[in-house]
Amino acid sequence: MPRIVITGVGVISPNGGIGKDSFSNAIFGGISGIKQISLFDTSDFKTKTAAQIDNFMPENIIGKDGLRVLDRSTKLLCSSAKMALDDAGFAVTEGNCRDVGLAVGNTFGSLQSISDFDKVAIKEGPKYINPSLFPNTVINAGASQTAIRLNIKGFNVTISTGFSASLDAVIYAADSIKLGRKNMVLAGGVEELSVQEFIGFYRAGCLAGLEDGSSELSCPFDRRRNGIILGEGSAIFVLEKLESALGRGAHIYAEIKSYGSYFGAKDAMSQAMAKVSLGTEKIDYICCAANSTKELDRQETSAIKEALAAKADSAKIGSIKSMIGECFSASGALQLAAGVCAIEKQMAAPNLNYEEPDPDCGLSYTPGKAVSSEIENVLINAFSIGGSNSSLMISKFAG
Amino acid sequence: MQDNIEGEIKSLIAEILEKDPNGIGPDSRFVEDLGMDSLKALEILVAVEKKYKITIPEKRLPEMNTLSATVAIAKEFFTTKTE
Repeated sequence: MPRIVITGVGVISPNGGIGKDSFSNAIFGGISGIKQISLFDTSDFKTKTAAQIDNFMPENIIGKDGLRVLDRSTKLLCSSAKMALDDAGFAVTEGNCRDVGLAVGNTFGSLQSISDFDKVAIKEGPKYINPSLFPNTVINAGASQTAIRLNIKGFNVTISTGFSASLDAVIYAADSIKLGRKNMVLAGGVEELSVQEFIGFYRAGCLAGLEDGSSELSCPFDRRRNGIILGEGSAIFVLEKLESALGRGAHIYAEIKSYGSYFGAKDAMSQAMAKVSLGTEKIDYICCAANSTKELDRQETSAIKEALAAKADSAKIGSIKSMIGECFSASGALQLAAGVCAIEKQMAAPNLNYEEPDPDCGLSYTPGKAVSSEIENVLINAFSIGGSNSSLMISKFAG
Repeated sequence: MQDNIEGEIKSLIAEILEKDPNGIGPDSRFVEDLGMDSLKALEILVAVEKKYKITIPEKRLPEMNTLSATVAIAKEFFTTKTE
């Protein structure tokens, strides 16, 4: 079975991470991207914060031509994909463009576009719909526009599985390489912050700070946790068959060892670890899905205890959502980026705002600053209380 | 008034085709010279209709291939403005 490695990383995160290196510095520097929302008016709402990306200038990454009709998700995705290719040192040409696939996880990407489209139809009449904005109303707009812009002519897939979407896209890409469909696939995800998404989660009572006396805080595993802080971002990886990477002298960040997707979080983790001869012995860092909600954080803690048993205590465990909020479909990919950087830097990212332990979440979580540690194997969890649970294990490339 | 309409339509076209308005002459060809595709052609049609509250039959779209032609066609329908 082919071995699959990560040779390029492109990432845009709300805590100042434009590109892998600045993302790495921000994550391990404990920089929070959670701030007062400025993308839309929050004066009618009790909660007002999100991990919003500021100062995003896509024209500096992908050029300014054609940006006018692209929505925010598409610009984020195109930019992170371009950065991933550049980071991998791989130039897409007419000769190799059909050998490169693209798999993207996204769920809310077209929500604002559909809403804006409908507003014009309702307020001004259907004849005044801008036809150039119509393509943004489909969920695969981002992946399609990215492929057009970067001339990627292998397969083009959008996976919309909610919280686990971007990790599922990486899993799809890895499977496609194993099956011999392609030697290289760009994979990851994107999610944008929009007023429609905010209103939906607000009215569903999911946001932190809604209840009187509660904190508007992203504090995974902490006793005070009471809801999510929304975030946005994008991360794309260049996945390659090992022989292909070695053949072109590519830098190898990590190897994708195994993965699992199940209704049950514990089963997803167990499958992600079962295919490796590690057993439960050497999981050095778990980049968690915990998002500062009562139920998911407890569910993940329980799954970690069951899947790792006594070995859970020796793993570094934390959630970067304490810094970047709940980026929904993009979370898994952003966590994978943190995992790749953890291997590169031999550090575990901090778990901010963990100050009041909760007996229901009784594991040893990383403190409020990054921890230097031997990091060989990283487990990335993308879980939801809805039952879409995926886990992926990456390892330091040993040759 | 005449100069205003040509200037206004030139601005719309410049924005949609992402070109410098100074580079759009009365007879610059939208497709060959300015890189217009079929979707942007429709966008120009809708933008002109919306700006002047007129309705231009889509069968006239192929004729709207230069600034001067677009201005002439728009003016044809000024006398039959919709509300």
